[in-house]
Amino acid sequence: MAELSATGGRERPAGGLELYAWLFMRVSGIALLLLALGHLAIMHLINSVDEINFAFVAARWANPLWRLYDWFLLFLALLHGFNGVRVMVDDYVRSPGLRVVSLVALYSLVLFFLFAGSLVILTFHPLAGS
Amino acid sequence: MQVKLRVKRFDRERDREPYWAEYEVEAEATDRVLDLLHSVKWYQDGTLSFRRSCGHGICGSDAMLINGRNRLACKVLIKELGKRISVEPLRGFPVVKDLVVDQQAFFRKFESVQPYLVAEEPPPARERRQSPEARERFDDTTKCILCAACTTSCPSFWSNPNYLGPAAIVNAHRFLFDDRDAGQEARLQVLNQSDGVWRCRTIFNCVEACPRGIDITRAIGEVKKALLLRRT
Amino acid sequence: MAATYHQYEVVVVGGGGAGLMAALTLRGRDVAVLSKLYPVRSHTGTAQGGIGAALGNMEEDHWEWHMFDTVKGSDYLADQDAVEILAREAVETVLELEHWGLPFSRTPDGKIAQRPFGGHTREYGKAPVRRSCYAADRTGHMILQTLYQQCIRHQVKFFNEFLVLDLLIESGRVAGVVALSIADGSLHVFHAKAVLFATGGCGRIYQITSNAHALTGDGMAVAWRAGVPLEDMEFFQFHPTGIYRMGILITEGARGEGGKLINGRGERFMEKYAPTLLDLAPRDIISRSIYLELRQGHGIGGKGYVHLDLTHLSREVIEEKLPDITDFVRTYLGIDPVKEPIPVQPTAHYAMGGIPTDIWGRVVVDEKNRVLPGFYSAGEVACVSVHGANRLGTNSLVDILVFGRRAGRDLVRYVAENDFPPLPPRAEENAEQWVARLRAGRSGSAGRRTTVAELRDTLQREMMDKASVFRDEKLLAEMKEVVGELQQRYQEVTIQDRGRVFNTDLVEALELAFLLDCAQTVVAGALARQESRGAHSREDFPKRDDQNWLKHSLAYRTPSGQVELKYKSVSITRFQPQERKY
Repeated sequence: MAELSATGGRERPAGGLELYAWLFMRVSGIALLLLALGHLAIMHLINSVDEINFAFVAARWANPLWRLYDWFLLFLALLHGFNGVRVMVDDYVRSPGLRVVSLVALYSLVLFFLFAGSLVILTFHPLAGS
Repeated sequence: MQVKLRVKRFDRERDREPYWAEYEVEAEATDRVLDLLHSVKWYQDGTLSFRRSCGHGICGSDAMLINGRNRLACKVLIKELGKRISVEPLRGFPVVKDLVVDQQAFFRKFESVQPYLVAEEPPPARERRQSPEARERFDDTTKCILCAACTTSCPSFWSNPNYLGPAAIVNAHRFLFDDRDAGQEARLQVLNQSDGVWRCRTIFNCVEACPRGIDITRAIGEVKKALLLRRT
Repeated sequence: MAATYHQYEVVVVGGGGAGLMAALTLRGRDVAVLSKLYPVRSHTGTAQGGIGAALGNMEEDHWEWHMFDTVKGSDYLADQDAVEILAREAVETVLELEHWGLPFSRTPDGKIAQRPFGGHTREYGKAPVRRSCYAADRTGHMILQTLYQQCIRHQVKFFNEFLVLDLLIESGRVAGVVALSIADGSLHVFHAKAVLFATGGCGRIYQITSNAHALTGDGMAVAWRAGVPLEDMEFFQFHPTGIYRMGILITEGARGEGGKLINGRGERFMEKYAPTLLDLAPRDIISRSIYLELRQGHGIGGKGYVHLDLTHLSREVIEEKLPDITDFVRTYLGIDPVKEPIPVQPTAHYAMGGIPTDIWGRVVVDEKNRVLPGFYSAGEVACVSVHGANRLGTNSLVDILVFGRRAGRDLVRYVAENDFPPLPPRAEENAEQWVARLRAGRSGSAGRRTTVAELRDTLQREMMDKASVFRDEKLLAEMKEVVGELQQRYQEVTIQDRGRVFNTDLVEALELAFLLDCAQTVVAGALARQESRGAHSREDFPKRDDQNWLKHSLAYRTPSGQVELKYKSVSITRFQPQERKY
């Protein structure tokens, strides 16, 4: 059985980071619920999936507000999921080596997806395809 | 009635591994598990070790894992459990012998939240006034007997022994919400550490384990809220 | 195995209310607290109903009334100089606890709430008064927690799970103690300028008791073996309302809130025995009344219990003011006190007697109150005497705090004025031999194993039958024989566990010796005292006899292990003995 640390877990520095992480999970959770329901409504209720094609997206993204909407959705979903996995790694991956590897992989993956997603949303030119 | 009692035993002077010992004990349905343990110790096997004192759920000595749940041996009756009963030491603490675990780290965590009233000195000549409503605000968490049943039922604690744990947070809550207390800042700082209150994943095992019926997860939630409102 | 040596100016033995209060009074000094349990497990925590102090928060009250009630409750055996201190200092003590954060229940205007309790009256006995300051029915828990919290704050040094085995006396001064560390079986010698015993009572000499398993009279017996007398041991309080067959306490606060005692014929029988105070008469009187009812076949269904009836009270009162006992009754009896009455019987509760002390907690060893330098005692283990022949409810909490603090204050003075006495050579020798003897074991005369449980069961059962609420010469003489025989057989006790780590088999064997010593002094005192006073009720001498027996007993241990009794006078200041009626 693992021995407990002599100080009973007291010496870790107080960062306050976990407070903001905790708050973010709650705020982003609510925001995601609204954004995702909105997304669902647009894609499946207001419009039919059959009608959604490149032109539909191009027309929609002509309005920067919609780009912002989708960008928010992407960002919040990624960060929300990321933080959830980070917490799980924190809780359950106890070996220091595996911990570093898991966290490096997690951070890399999330940064890559954020970058790739942002690239598409920000640099999309509808005219190029028409 | 005849009860089959299985006890997970370990004596570091003799055993390399914990093992299960089985005892047949004659008991009444209204006997406590503590009575069974005493019956074994007094009339069958004197080498069995466990802590106990008051025998009615106030001193907090005999928290242990009984049929897979953290209970006080003196507060659970045979009739609730049936004729096959298994008893193990609390999880997550080093075993000293049989059902006796080392609780030093547990008490150090309790001490780290500064579980005492910090108030302006000198005090008034008479009592400090406190309305019944203000007293009620922290009533639930004054009931804690530091038996460690909550902390050792918490998966967050099992996986991270550095986690402060529900018991320490409960005792911090008892002072955070006492309107006579002025030690909020220092206490909140300890709770705000990464191994502090944020390790709680609202699993609710602690609530189920608490022999005093304290709504622990709620108390922890209130502490989180207190941290949030202070910092944002 | 060599002992480990430690040196502290003051060693406090016992981590309950009295020990912690003394340690707090000595805060910042060179003090160590030895405790058989973790301090928060101490028996102080099980006190329920309240702590008595004439705050007058609910109605007019005065410390003089509290003093009178205590003296009358004691059947005039309490030392009135000490009782005066108790009643006066109770007030500041309760306020100090509040200042340390104790979460008392509150009145609507925010003051400490108070409730009636047995034997506490206004205007010298006219009617019950609300004097007991409470925190629901967990006052002891809150007191113990609050004191322990303050000890953390002031970084008091604890040695937890240490069992005291010997008191060291050298050249007429106390020089320290020897203790066993339960965790690893090692012996420790604590060299000290002064030692305070606050180890609690010895309720486990009886079969039905509200006392924790840990209450085995350790401090009383260790002091007794070291030549210190034990005072007034014949007075042992039976609390009237223990849960039937289990002995678990149901607070007097339940009657304070309006609960009634009912016999098998549905009568509120206390009307016969205490027409003014009824169910709030002192404990000795109610316990005797219950025994008398049972004897006449007026138990419930002819069995050995009566009912404590709360069913006429509202659910709110029961659940808010008596939450813990409601929980006990539901857990252990499977009944709801809101709807059904609770089966109760008297349960051994409190030793009025103990190590004799003066009003500063200093242990006094003869009829002239000669002080044994460096030895202090406070709490249930001690006998100041503020409880005399019968303690009033709520006064034990007052006692531990008031005299724990006074002992602490005098210790501050004592250690400043004195150096360390020399340690006796091979200080641990007695304890070492005792432990070695038990570990080695010895086969009984018939080759049969004599177990701790067997002897302890016999002691507890026989004490219940022969030396509990009602006593007479024949039964007590028999009991004396029984104890003598058990003492003999103790020499043959063997334990099964020969290990060192957390060997509770060994601990129980050591505790049994303490229990036997305590029982021996209880029986000797009871046999000699040919009168009925307070909790000591002799059927062959049913009257109080102030002419011959208004005096404290002092039980000494002779070299052959017998009891020699001496007596000392009672301090009477304000209240002359009168007939005791309620």
